[in-house]
Amino acid sequence: MSPLHSRDFGLDADATSPPEPLPAAVRRRLGGRYPVDPFGLDPQLCDLLSPLFDLTVRVRAHGMEHVGPGAATLVANRGLGIGEPAALAVAVRQALGRRLRVVGAPPVRLLGALSRRLGAVAATPEDLAAALRAGHLVAVPLAPTWLRTGAGTPALELTQAMMGFPVHPVAIVPAGPLGLPLARWRVCAGPPIRLDGSYPVGDPLGAAELADAVRHAVARLLEGASPDPAEETPGLAVPSA
Amino acid sequence: MRVLVTGLGGELGTRVAQLLEERPEVSEIAGVDFLPPRRRLRRTEFRRIDPRRRERLVEFVSEFEPEGLAHFGVYEPASRMSPASAAERTELATIASLSAAARGGRLRAVVVRSGLEVYGRRSPRTSVPDEHVPPAPGTAYGRSLLAVEAVAAGLGRRHDVPVAALRYAPVVGSHVPSPLGRLLRLPVVPVPALSDPPFSLLHPDDAARAMVEALVRQVDGPVNVVGPGAATPWQAARLGGRIPLPVVGPAWAWAARVAELAGAAIAPHVVELLRFGRTASGSRAVDLLGLSDLRPTQQVLSELYEWAAIVPLGTSEEAVA
Repeated sequence: MSPLHSRDFGLDADATSPPEPLPAAVRRRLGGRYPVDPFGLDPQLCDLLSPLFDLTVRVRAHGMEHVGPGAATLVANRGLGIGEPAALAVAVRQALGRRLRVVGAPPVRLLGALSRRLGAVAATPEDLAAALRAGHLVAVPLAPTWLRTGAGTPALELTQAMMGFPVHPVAIVPAGPLGLPLARWRVCAGPPIRLDGSYPVGDPLGAAELADAVRHAVARLLEGASPDPAEETPGLAVPSA
Repeated sequence: MRVLVTGLGGELGTRVAQLLEERPEVSEIAGVDFLPPRRRLRRTEFRRIDPRRRERLVEFVSEFEPEGLAHFGVYEPASRMSPASAAERTELATIASLSAAARGGRLRAVVVRSGLEVYGRRSPRTSVPDEHVPPAPGTAYGRSLLAVEAVAAGLGRRHDVPVAALRYAPVVGSHVPSPLGRLLRLPVVPVPALSDPPFSLLHPDDAARAMVEALVRQVDGPVNVVGPGAATPWQAARLGGRIPLPVVGPAWAWAARVAELAGAAIAPHVVELLRFGRTASGSRAVDLLGLSDLRPTQQVLSELYEWAAIVPLGTSEEAVA
């Protein structure tokens, strides 16, 4: 466990816990016996809301065994809205029992504060690096692609900040017709991307290479995981990177 | 190593002197302040000098010829003095003692006390700054701390001495006169109505340990020293069984006035903390100072509330504060 990490009042900023019964949760809230983390995450609130998310965002996850313990980034494709990050957060919670920190807290006061309570982190290299050093599992969305196909390129400064930690490509596909999130989302994680070891951490050229590699890996995963109405078995082909 | 501790009369200065007395590699310790040490010290030579009396301060420091300088002559507004006199004393103490310490020519390490206040508002962009984020103080105390860092860094460049600036998270505890600690212990605590930003705290023992480690290891550059985890104004008030009073925008000036009448003056840097939060990334302190067991923010907060209410014993305000 990272020394920057703390576990207060039995609630952890990384590992999830089952939601408490409502009266106990209210008592804890009124008594102030809940922690927050420096990014604003509110673990008790997240645990309380998790059954609601499980009901509304149904997910089928594959390849999560590639994600080891400790700090790592999950680089995923993203469409409009918060569908993809929410599906990934639910998948991570169900498969790994960990909290997902999503890069991209809106820099607005009320909405920003709310998203931070649920685990969002500002889209700056400083905050991304700080979250990784603290041992969190951080999702970095690729640039939004409008029609939920393919994958954009991640911002270079963010890629520089994630060097030195495992980087996993993740494909997120809504399984409904026309890309609508009616059925279960498919979340498919790949093994960490190996980068030429000659680049020092933070090197811009190395970051550009990593960005290219991760974009290709996400695109390949997306092809492999694209919805096929005939295919109903959970066995999905995970291409090895 | 011959070590000079400025600001020895403060809680942190006294604790650092106590820790230095236990280190075998520290041969001699001298201290100055305008107030006497807060606890009994065995082998520290203390001289009571007000920073406003520059000649006496310069004379004492240059005669001692320190090899290490632990600079705690940095005074927080509204902790033990008014904002104007805190800024004046900080500036005078810093310039006089740093230049006099360098005059001896034996200086090998300088560590100055600074604070997360130098980063100013926790912006919606970068909220957990590391030491690479350029400081942008928004309050008089933050600017005063940044000026101390600049004076020390200039001295380090000129004399080729490693200079560390310890950017402490707010230090609160039962014996530390701190405007934030006093405010959180009021029966009614003003909190922001529309937000609830996180802030981190630091235990006084950890702050003192960080100073000693930075001095002995001759660390260079700024280092954030932050207790793990965070608290928010609402949560902190409720944990202490206090009543949170929501305050919006212009009403903060009014709340500060009322709190001052209740015995806890709120300086602008404390309002900034409550409204915009104050956290930072503390990994450099773990790597450079070996402080992997800092007390978490929530534990510092619990200790602040466990400390019994002040019983008036007829002593002066300063002694119980």
